[in-house]
Amino acid sequence: MWECCGAPRPEGRRGSACRGAGVVPFMALLLLQRRPVAGRALLVTGSSCPGHGLCRSNVQEQTRRQVALLNATAQDLFSLYLKCQGEPFSSESDKLCNPTGIFFPAFRVNRTSERKEVMVAMYKLFAFLNASLGNITRDQEELNPTAKELLDRLHNTTKTTRGLISNLTCLLCKNYNIFQVDVRYGESSKGKSAFKKKQQGCQVLRKYVQVIGQAARVLLPHLSPS
Amino acid sequence: MWKNSSLRCLLALAILCLRSSVHSQEIGSLGHPQNLKCVTHNLHKMICTWDVSPRRKHGQTDFCYAANDLPTPVCFKTKEKRVEIPVPHSSSTVTITTNSISGTALATKEFKIHKKDILFIPVAPRVLSLTPDFSTSTLNLKWSDNGSVFPDGLDAVWQIQILRKETVEKVTQVTYHSKLTHEDIILSWNWTSDIPLECASHYVKIRCYINVTQFVGLKEWSDWSPVEVILGKDTDPSESGVFPLDTVVAVGSDVTFCCIHEEGQNITNMSYGSKPYPMIQLSSRSHAIRVLNASASDSSGTNVVCRLNNGMMEGTVLFVGYAPDIPQNLSCETPNFQIIKCSWKPGRPSGLYGKRRTMYSLFERMSGKNVSCEVNEMNRQHVCGFPVLPDQKTYDFILGVSNPIGQAESSLLVDITQRVHPKTPEKLTVSENNSTSIHLHWFINGSFAEIRLLCQIEITSGHSEQKLHNVSMPGGKSSAYTAHLNALHPYTKYQFRVRCSAADHFWRWSDWSRVEEYTTSEAPPARGPDIWRERSSSGESLKIFWKPLPLSEANGRITSHEVSCYLLETPLEHKVVTEPTNSTEIKLGKNDCVISVVAKNQAGSSPPSRITSMELPSDNIITGQAMAMGNGINVSWDSYPNMTCGYVVKWCRSSGSEPCSVDWQKFPSNTTNAVIKSALFKPGVRYNFSVYGCKSTGYQLLKNITGYMKELPPKSAPNFTVEETSSDSILVRWEDIPIEECRGFLKGYLLSFAKGEKDALKPRLSESGNPELKVNNITNLTQKSMKILDLQGKTSYQLELQAYTAGGLSPPNSLYVVTKEDSVGLIIAILIPVAVVVLLGVVASIFCYRKREWIKETFYPEIPNPENSKALQFQRNICEGNKTLKTLEMNPCTPNSVEVVETQSAAPKIEDTEMMSPAADTTVPEDGSDSEMENHVVVSYCPPIIEEEISNPPTDEPGGSSQVVYIDIQSMYQPQIKSEEEPEIDVVTTAGYKPQMQLSVNAMNTESRSPVEEELDKTAGYRPQANTNAWNMDTPDSPGSVESNNENASFGSPCSINSRQFLLPPRDDEDSPKPINIGWSFTHFFQNKPND
Repeated sequence: MWECCGAPRPEGRRGSACRGAGVVPFMALLLLQRRPVAGRALLVTGSSCPGHGLCRSNVQEQTRRQVALLNATAQDLFSLYLKCQGEPFSSESDKLCNPTGIFFPAFRVNRTSERKEVMVAMYKLFAFLNASLGNITRDQEELNPTAKELLDRLHNTTKTTRGLISNLTCLLCKNYNIFQVDVRYGESSKGKSAFKKKQQGCQVLRKYVQVIGQAARVLLPHLSPS
Repeated sequence: MWKNSSLRCLLALAILCLRSSVHSQEIGSLGHPQNLKCVTHNLHKMICTWDVSPRRKHGQTDFCYAANDLPTPVCFKTKEKRVEIPVPHSSSTVTITTNSISGTALATKEFKIHKKDILFIPVAPRVLSLTPDFSTSTLNLKWSDNGSVFPDGLDAVWQIQILRKETVEKVTQVTYHSKLTHEDIILSWNWTSDIPLECASHYVKIRCYINVTQFVGLKEWSDWSPVEVILGKDTDPSESGVFPLDTVVAVGSDVTFCCIHEEGQNITNMSYGSKPYPMIQLSSRSHAIRVLNASASDSSGTNVVCRLNNGMMEGTVLFVGYAPDIPQNLSCETPNFQIIKCSWKPGRPSGLYGKRRTMYSLFERMSGKNVSCEVNEMNRQHVCGFPVLPDQKTYDFILGVSNPIGQAESSLLVDITQRVHPKTPEKLTVSENNSTSIHLHWFINGSFAEIRLLCQIEITSGHSEQKLHNVSMPGGKSSAYTAHLNALHPYTKYQFRVRCSAADHFWRWSDWSRVEEYTTSEAPPARGPDIWRERSSSGESLKIFWKPLPLSEANGRITSHEVSCYLLETPLEHKVVTEPTNSTEIKLGKNDCVISVVAKNQAGSSPPSRITSMELPSDNIITGQAMAMGNGINVSWDSYPNMTCGYVVKWCRSSGSEPCSVDWQKFPSNTTNAVIKSALFKPGVRYNFSVYGCKSTGYQLLKNITGYMKELPPKSAPNFTVEETSSDSILVRWEDIPIEECRGFLKGYLLSFAKGEKDALKPRLSESGNPELKVNNITNLTQKSMKILDLQGKTSYQLELQAYTAGGLSPPNSLYVVTKEDSVGLIIAILIPVAVVVLLGVVASIFCYRKREWIKETFYPEIPNPENSKALQFQRNICEGNKTLKTLEMNPCTPNSVEVVETQSAAPKIEDTEMMSPAADTTVPEDGSDSEMENHVVVSYCPPIIEEEISNPPTDEPGGSSQVVYIDIQSMYQPQIKSEEEPEIDVVTTAGYKPQMQLSVNAMNTESRSPVEEELDKTAGYRPQANTNAWNMDTPDSPGSVESNNENASFGSPCSINSRQFLLPPRDDEDSPKPINIGWSFTHFFQNKPND
């Protein structure tokens, strides 16, 4: 089992910004901000997709693996998050973390959906998640600065979603010439009480656990090597 | 005092009315003014009011007042029954005239107002603000003291009342004291609620009492101020949640939480952490729990949750921690005179993180400058920087520490010129002057222009100890520093590193710089090599040896040695020997010369070392032994005054496969001993040393010495043989041990011997613990044989021989030798015992013969004739019943059974006490069956118990047919074999030896026996073994032996005829006691004697 309270965290940066292996360097300019507001994600600078060298050859496979990785680690992240929030979050997570009242992007695609539709839905989902994970990480750095493992997992998950967004950006641009997707972000937890912050993170992560499994199942046939 | 203020107020009014009525002088009765009351709020003006009786409409009232301090009365008209006039100093006369509407005077009344009749009631305080702090549940009340209207220095007392909830319950009332300063001062008061302010509405009101001591009138509390209210969240229909939000409290605090829910909902429970708490209802929408003595929470706080009946949950977080500890070990220093770094230990962790963490600030009092410190709460050592201020050396720091729970501080006064901890020197480089001196350069970042620096240079080289060299130099501003190092050694690899500190006021060294390595250049060797020479055995050539110069003297890499031979300054031979050879040979013939050796490296040549080849003759060279000392060999010699240039000790290994390696050591003239040490010396190896004396003309051998660095036990034992063996001695001879195997100076031999057969498994004699072991210590090393005496003939001896040194014993050599047989001794050993036995036999025979009468009387007195005994006549009837008894028929009535009883005291020596068992007494068969008894008797053999029963005496028996029972002294012997567990068998087995032949006397039925007779039977001793004619060859257990008594005859021995062969198992023959039937023997012996 995890220990919530870990050793003091070292000073300094906690890792470089993640850059998807399948994305060329300028893709770092992609919209990855954590603004918790609805907005239009600018996928690339300019008004159209760049021509050549946008995606590397293994971007599809890497995207699939990133989703699989997130799917594999989501439950552990959620469990550890609950543990670090103190009681009764672990024992009454069903009530406390009921995501009914929060916004979460709809993910109404299935295996039979069009691939383009799936990619757009995925983009919306992970753009939302990336911002929410950023909020949760910031809140937990404030509330649980000694919970090293939780913070590490949050950072890693955030980095993976960031890489995933880059890869999805690349795929959308390359395959469907989509370079703008409307994304709605969740409510900011800034200024809320500590309890509300804990609860909001818990609600988002619980929903994340549910949706990421669905995303992995849906994405698999679309990203499998043909 | 003012608790019952209302009552007191009423009382005061009553008194005032009374006084007014007394002191006013009524002028008229219609429309008369009455009840004049004067009240002051500020001690300057007073408000006087009165009534008019009877109450009816009237016009204006003329009001005049006069006082001592007024020159003339002051009059004015008023329509009201209330005027404001100055407060008189002592008293005032007031005249009130009531006029009719038309203006005619109706009534006039004069009042005398004394100062003591005036009531002083301050104006009700006005609350300026009531501010809630929801995070701390604190109300802040601000109001003005209105002090500008009062004289300076008055004491004011303020009463503040807190009320709560919809029902306005009084929570508390506090009294606040202040002093008026003749100015309007805004007073502030804080009150912390025990329940969060959000949980219920709170109301506050205030009043005052001014204690004007110089005012003689009555003083009263002011009225209450208007109520100020802080509304609870439960009054807002849209509000819900758990309060307080994100509160921080100290460990051990009591905290109240409330849950406010929407109208129509109910709370199911509230919990703190995982523990539910009982709820207290505050209002219809607010419930509270009270947590006592809160313990420290996790870093994310403790959750307080309220569960509603609709399944919703509301919550808040409480952070419980500690107030900051006082910073410990506060210390400030500057690394560069640009910044001051203060460090401290935070002490006990507060347990609060994030925005609740402990904040630090550094305040410098002299400059008034304050900096906040960014410290990492996780670090044990906290550091905060403060800029060095221009022209300021002394700093008075206060380190302030605060968190939401509390604050602390620590101070330090420091002169930074005395707290210099320079940064690590950088860019360390070396530049060389020459082979022994260099310059070191380094750089320190910082402005040290105002101080001197003390720098320490650590010098490390491979062949010398680590040295520290201190250099003091003026400091600079971010500049390079240089130090000069000399007295270095040429051609040496050095490692340098530097650290610095303040020279004048040492505080701390900087960290060491990185290590800089440098190798100095070469210089000519400092001296010539140490040399020695030896002539060859033929004397034709001279071999010259030299020792390599140590690195410290070689000053470089020695490339070659130049060897020259001079005869009277004339060079005879010159050789250049390259490294690594350290010897050379010069053919001199029989000549002598002076040898010169010079060592050379790339930098030059060494001074020459010289030695003459001449060796002076020596007489009577003695050889001594050297003692081992530590890890060397102590060599000593006599003092030779004529040896002017010292001594040389030369040595060489005495043995070994490699050629002799010459080594030597020189000593001054005053030396007579030396401990020679060499890494080549090995324990147990003999070294030969030669001591030479040095004269101007040459060297002279003085002494030879052998020695060991450490003596070890000899490696092997000497070989030895047996030269000669006799019946009582062995002559052994042994050989010398080779010197290589001695491994020490031989001290002697140990020859051990003891009896012993040759056996491969036998331990060594010395280890066997044999008590007969004898050891001969032979310390005479010249003795090579030894005769061992006093040995036994024809005996095997084990011999062991060991050599020993100071290091111990060698392993033994063993031999087994058998001594020769001693025939004379054997003969003597046989003859002497035989002769002794014969002699004893003769003496015993003579003795017995001479004492035969006495013996007979003592042991076997003559048996009287039974026929002469009347005592036997009682057995006549028995005799008559048995017609077969014919033995003693001399007299028809002669008893045929005679018991001859000898007393026990007359019994001879009892030899087998084991047979004396009472149990044996019961072995007599009760049925009187002789045959059975016979059979039983044969089971257990007991020679001493002999019972004889003659049933059918043979006709040729001279004894006749009379029945005789002998009870011998041997009847004392009874077998004692009975086992209690086998009682039935005992009858048989414990019977002991019974007569081998049964008497056939039927009359001797055991049933008819008297107890005495039974007893006699039981103790029956020896009985005659009876009729030898009835002896039968059958075994007792054969069928025939059971059927016939006669057939139970013995055979062989008259003592134990049947039992000898068949009754006793072979084991019993060996193990069972063999009682000696002396009784029988002697009886038999004497019975066979002639009748004398």
